[in-house]
Amino acid sequence: MGGMRRIAAVAANTFRETVRERVLYNLVLFAILMTLSGLLLNPLSLRQDEKIVKDIGLASMELFGTMIAVFIGVGLVSKEIERRSLHLLLAKPLSRDEFLLGKFAGLGLTLSANVAAMTAGLYATLWMIGRHSGPGLLAAVYGILLGLMLAVSIALLFSTLTSSALAAVCTVCVVIGGRFADVIRNMREVAPGAPGWLTTGLYYALPNFHTFDLKDRVVHGDPVGFHQLGWITLYGACYMGVVLLAALASFRRRDFQ
Amino acid sequence: MDVASTLLVPALSIRGLTKTYRYGHFFSRRSRQALHDLNLELPAGEVFGYLGPNGSGKTTTLKILMGLVCPDQGEARILGLPSTEFGWRRKVGFLPENPYLYDYLTLAEYLDYVGLLFGLSSALRRERAQHLLRELDLVRSAHLPLRRFSKGMTQRAGLAQALMNDPEMVFLDEPMSGLDPLGRRRVRDLILGLKAKGKTVFFSTHILGDAESLCDRVGILRSGQLLAVGRLDEILRMDIPRYEVLVSGLETTQLDALPCGIDNRRDIGERARLQVREGGLGALVTAVERVGGRVLSVQPVSESLEDYFLRQLTAAGEEDPEWAE
Repeated sequence: MGGMRRIAAVAANTFRETVRERVLYNLVLFAILMTLSGLLLNPLSLRQDEKIVKDIGLASMELFGTMIAVFIGVGLVSKEIERRSLHLLLAKPLSRDEFLLGKFAGLGLTLSANVAAMTAGLYATLWMIGRHSGPGLLAAVYGILLGLMLAVSIALLFSTLTSSALAAVCTVCVVIGGRFADVIRNMREVAPGAPGWLTTGLYYALPNFHTFDLKDRVVHGDPVGFHQLGWITLYGACYMGVVLLAALASFRRRDFQ
Repeated sequence: MDVASTLLVPALSIRGLTKTYRYGHFFSRRSRQALHDLNLELPAGEVFGYLGPNGSGKTTTLKILMGLVCPDQGEARILGLPSTEFGWRRKVGFLPENPYLYDYLTLAEYLDYVGLLFGLSSALRRERAQHLLRELDLVRSAHLPLRRFSKGMTQRAGLAQALMNDPEMVFLDEPMSGLDPLGRRRVRDLILGLKAKGKTVFFSTHILGDAESLCDRVGILRSGQLLAVGRLDEILRMDIPRYEVLVSGLETTQLDALPCGIDNRRDIGERARLQVREGGLGALVTAVERVGGRVLSVQPVSESLEDYFLRQLTAAGEEDPEWAE
């Protein structure tokens, strides 16, 4: 019980830390502006305005959310290590596991708040063009949020292993690789020389962010069932669990010189 | 554990602590021994000064005790519990060297956060924070973002967080670092106040004057090894005591002709101050009187810690010891 309270304390502090980052507001504002820019395409869209606004809005949410997840996620732990603020905390009755889980939960809260703000921006834009989208849009938003949480866990793992700059590069590589996991699997069709074990291994090892992508289905009005939402939740939770366990194992053994 | 047995348990016990840092990449792996077979024991209620030049292993010792660095060998017990356990952390405060506090928080928020980690109730957190802000003269800065704090204010804020849980024992790494004379005085008073309340204070420093004015005992560390541990007067008595003899009525040539064994001579007008070791004192006084000089005074010269360190380091062939007054 005490452990949960300490995790909650670190999470609340992380939330406070990240919402006071100026770069966060810039990114969220930019995402909302991008969504609003869909209005400019209204005259050219031949009654496709709703789809265009949804497409741009969801894509902006995913892109800027990923940027927040990667760059703030990487900085969360490595900055504490580099600036040694961590030394003060770990001398308190706070285990390394509690610290890391608190950081993860805190950034998860921040991302949820950002995604909520961007979703509100998207609904407002749709309302401005006279379209009233139902809750179906939220399925795509949920998929985006799961993908962002997975990206945060990967960023945390790398930030426990290496410096913030290298951790950012590694996280970006894994996230981009994960977005193109299907392309990697089919690489032998365009490059027959590529070793099969490598492409198959990469396909299964990298997080398949495509799994969380429900944008096309939602934009085109196809229903997304609870079965599918359950499946992507299970996949995301399992992958995040493994990544977080690896991060905890690495963090427990690390010397803070 | 009853009160009597609590008093018998050392506040800190270190056995055979050894640490080697390894660095460099795969093809050029290097290592540096930071601590070698460190043994130390502190009774409860003592102010202990952990002294040594920069790079002697003071901070490594503290990092191992606080669980930030894993030792290669050895073990430590804090308040009777293994340092790897968690229980002692509720009763201990820690101030690292040059603490970094979060830019985006105010001091009041930071102290509240620290209090939460210690599991203090909301009322107790407020009460402790108010008390520490007053004691460290930070009341007016409590609601400023920590990024606006000067170095001295940050150091005092670091001390406040170390004392938030009203600890039984405090570990302070260079607590006077970056403080102006007034700030140093305030921290000195704070440490003396902790001692008066029966708390144990372990502080590392390379500012010898602080150790001389505050510590019951000191430990002297050099290149990861303890040179000496004990009361200051015991440590300085390890040397042969010296005397300063003030003489007058002697010409320079007569002074030059005095028997060997004079460590230091300073001519002041018609007088001269001569420093001599205990064994040579009688011969010197006799020689001065034989050539017609007068012995005005003989005073024992206690060696300062700085003298002691410099001589130890010079004997070990180390260069550029970084000490400060």
